[in-house]
Amino acid sequence: MAEVLRRLVRTPQGAIGLAIIALVLIAVLFGPWLAPRDPFAISPLQRYRPPGPVNFLGTDHLGRDLLSRVLHGASATVAMAIIATLAGTLAGSLIGTGSAYLGGRVDELMMRTVDAVMAIPSLLMSLLVVSMLGRSATNAVIAIAIAFTPGMARISRSVALAVRKQDYVSAAIARGEGAGFVILREMLPNALAPIIVEMTIRFAFSVMLFSTLSFLGLGAQPPTPEWGLMVSEARRFMHLSSWMILWPCISIALVAVGFNLLGDGLRDALNPRT
Amino acid sequence: MATEANVLSVEGYTLDYVTRAGPIRALDSVDLRIARGEVVGLVGESGSGKTSLAWAIMRALASNAVELAGSLKLSGQDLRQLGPGAVRAIRGRRIGMIFQDPSASLNPTMTLGAQITEALVAHMGLRTKAAREAGKQLFAKVGLSDPAAIMRRYPHEASGGEKQRVVIATAFACRPELILFDEPTTALDVITARQILDLLRDLQAETAVASLYISHDLAVVSRIAQRVAVIHRGRIVDEGSVPNVFTAPSDSYTRALLDAVPKPERRLVSSTVTMSEKRLVEVRGLTVRYGRPQFFGKSLGTAGARDVSFDLAPGEILGIVGESGSGKSTLARALTGLAPFTGTLLVGGREIASIADMDSAYRRTVQIVFQHPDASLNPRQRIGDILARPFALYGRAGTQPIRSAVRDMLEAVQLPPDYVDRFPHQLSGGEKQRVAIARAFAAGPALVICDEVTSSLDVSVQAAVIDLLVELRRETGTAYLFISHDINLVRQIAHRIIVMHRGELVEAISADDLAARGPSHPYTARLIAAVPTLLAA
Repeated sequence: MAEVLRRLVRTPQGAIGLAIIALVLIAVLFGPWLAPRDPFAISPLQRYRPPGPVNFLGTDHLGRDLLSRVLHGASATVAMAIIATLAGTLAGSLIGTGSAYLGGRVDELMMRTVDAVMAIPSLLMSLLVVSMLGRSATNAVIAIAIAFTPGMARISRSVALAVRKQDYVSAAIARGEGAGFVILREMLPNALAPIIVEMTIRFAFSVMLFSTLSFLGLGAQPPTPEWGLMVSEARRFMHLSSWMILWPCISIALVAVGFNLLGDGLRDALNPRT
Repeated sequence: MATEANVLSVEGYTLDYVTRAGPIRALDSVDLRIARGEVVGLVGESGSGKTSLAWAIMRALASNAVELAGSLKLSGQDLRQLGPGAVRAIRGRRIGMIFQDPSASLNPTMTLGAQITEALVAHMGLRTKAAREAGKQLFAKVGLSDPAAIMRRYPHEASGGEKQRVVIATAFACRPELILFDEPTTALDVITARQILDLLRDLQAETAVASLYISHDLAVVSRIAQRVAVIHRGRIVDEGSVPNVFTAPSDSYTRALLDAVPKPERRLVSSTVTMSEKRLVEVRGLTVRYGRPQFFGKSLGTAGARDVSFDLAPGEILGIVGESGSGKSTLARALTGLAPFTGTLLVGGREIASIADMDSAYRRTVQIVFQHPDASLNPRQRIGDILARPFALYGRAGTQPIRSAVRDMLEAVQLPPDYVDRFPHQLSGGEKQRVAIARAFAAGPALVICDEVTSSLDVSVQAAVIDLLVELRRETGTAYLFISHDINLVRQIAHRIIVMHRGELVEAISADDLAARGPSHPYTARLIAAVPTLLAA
């Protein structure tokens, strides 16, 4: 683990990605404590303020402090996106590894189903799920997890197929181990590296997808300081104060870029041969 | 002899590899001379630096290699002083090289003809048409039966032996002064390897090219080389003519290496096993088919093993020999439930009709050890966890805590008990194979299937692992199904021997009968004749 970290920091994309994500995670974990003001406190006299000494990033159309809202929004956006990706990755890697273990007709059946689901674009898929389950942040998380499952299943299966042929898997089967043990203890730990890389890159997509759903009014609901929702609200007041739309946009972009760089760095760090 | 009389002369050559852990000495003041028409064998185990020397001569060293001292002279010209252009002119033209794996050294997207033609055009300045003709002649010369047809084939359409012949033809095509052979027969089947070796000897005698023959196999080197150098940890420890070195080795390492070579006369187990009425395993008409059943038509795929029958007494060592693809590993896979089979299998009087019948008791009774310990031990699990699994699975530890049972098991295979906290990659190849053996014996089996357990190990390590297996059998009375391509090794250890050829059992003979009367099936005779034995008595 320490070795992976050392290799990660040595690549420029890994170091930059790690730095950005570290900042984001600080905002996610300690955002509410770091925020100078109450993100929900409305002050009609302080509306549309540009960045200044009182409100570092300015205020929005209700006079709420933008810095506090962006910091509070970190946990609303990034944490939700991370949970969604983790759920999708868990489901996908179990399906993929299980499919590779079972092989033959079962594998064929599972993977063709996955292909069919994959044919639907992930945004469309999430929209479909949210409109069926109703609009809420929790349902948006479920929708993203479902949309990510097929892709993760496909990637983990391709790795697990190579692992399946290894003698230690044969040895486990010859020993009479059950399917659960072979999949979870023998195969999955060895298929993990590419899954982690893919998951890191998908965090970025997940943040964007979650923001998109909130932007469309299908994810987080007002007055939550969710970034996508903030962009959506700020859209109407763009000509009055461009700062309002700028900060949440920059936040989303920064997180997306950070996770992408980290994913690239991890791919090199976890795969010393390439 | 003046230095210029030698085609290759290596003097005081020292090479380091720089790693993060510090420099590692790969070659330490190596001296080696090869005269025209001479074959010098370079023998060493893996990691001894023998391949590093070949790459140094070819001027294709890894980027972290540092040459500290010495010279590499080709007909008096120091290769170390040459620029990249001059090196390219020498490579392939004046120094040829033949590698272990012919499929890796041929370009899969070019026909075999195009590859030899390219070499002839580039190095000999021939025109394409003339080069094709010359290539065809060369192919005929290396014993390819239909040169014109082979010219049009791609590497995947040719057999391993044919591919190696093409590589040899390409190497000899430009009449180089020196050819480096890096384990040219190791990746081939026994009989093919013998044919290639004979071909090399003929070509070498005809062209009088100076040759450096690198191998881990002392027997092969004793057959082809006039002089031999033994390399150990980057140092040449023994050098001289083949009869001298092999009959009167001056270095203790050479002696140990020679002792480790399997000799069929030296039996490691008592010849007789009490053949009572009781049978541990009875196999009747076992057949394994590969390839999936087709929708249309009745394609049964290729046979892995056809109609194989044999018996195994408790405590008996049954050797199975054959070339790759002969079905010997398929047999192991069928017996361990890794390949579906048809036919009858009786183990301890119980009939096993299919994989579904293989319950925990059967799994416990029949254990397997695979060829590559790197692949058979999960790299993410600690040795302690790997060895604890059979105890947990079969509930064999009894009142003893599993952790102490694991330590006892490690001691039984002569490994230090504190290895429990290590990961497989922290162990050497031989140690890993010991762990795999310990895992099989942790189940308390009546039969252990050893599938080529020593073939990925060095000679001296191989001997130690075989000794361990003999020792464990003496203590536990376990029977072995000992699968190997090395008939000398099998003759040393097995009570009875089964010979497989193309999925069929062609001969079953006791080791004593084989020693006394010789083989009865012609294929067995060919197999025995093909295996190189040490020339010196």
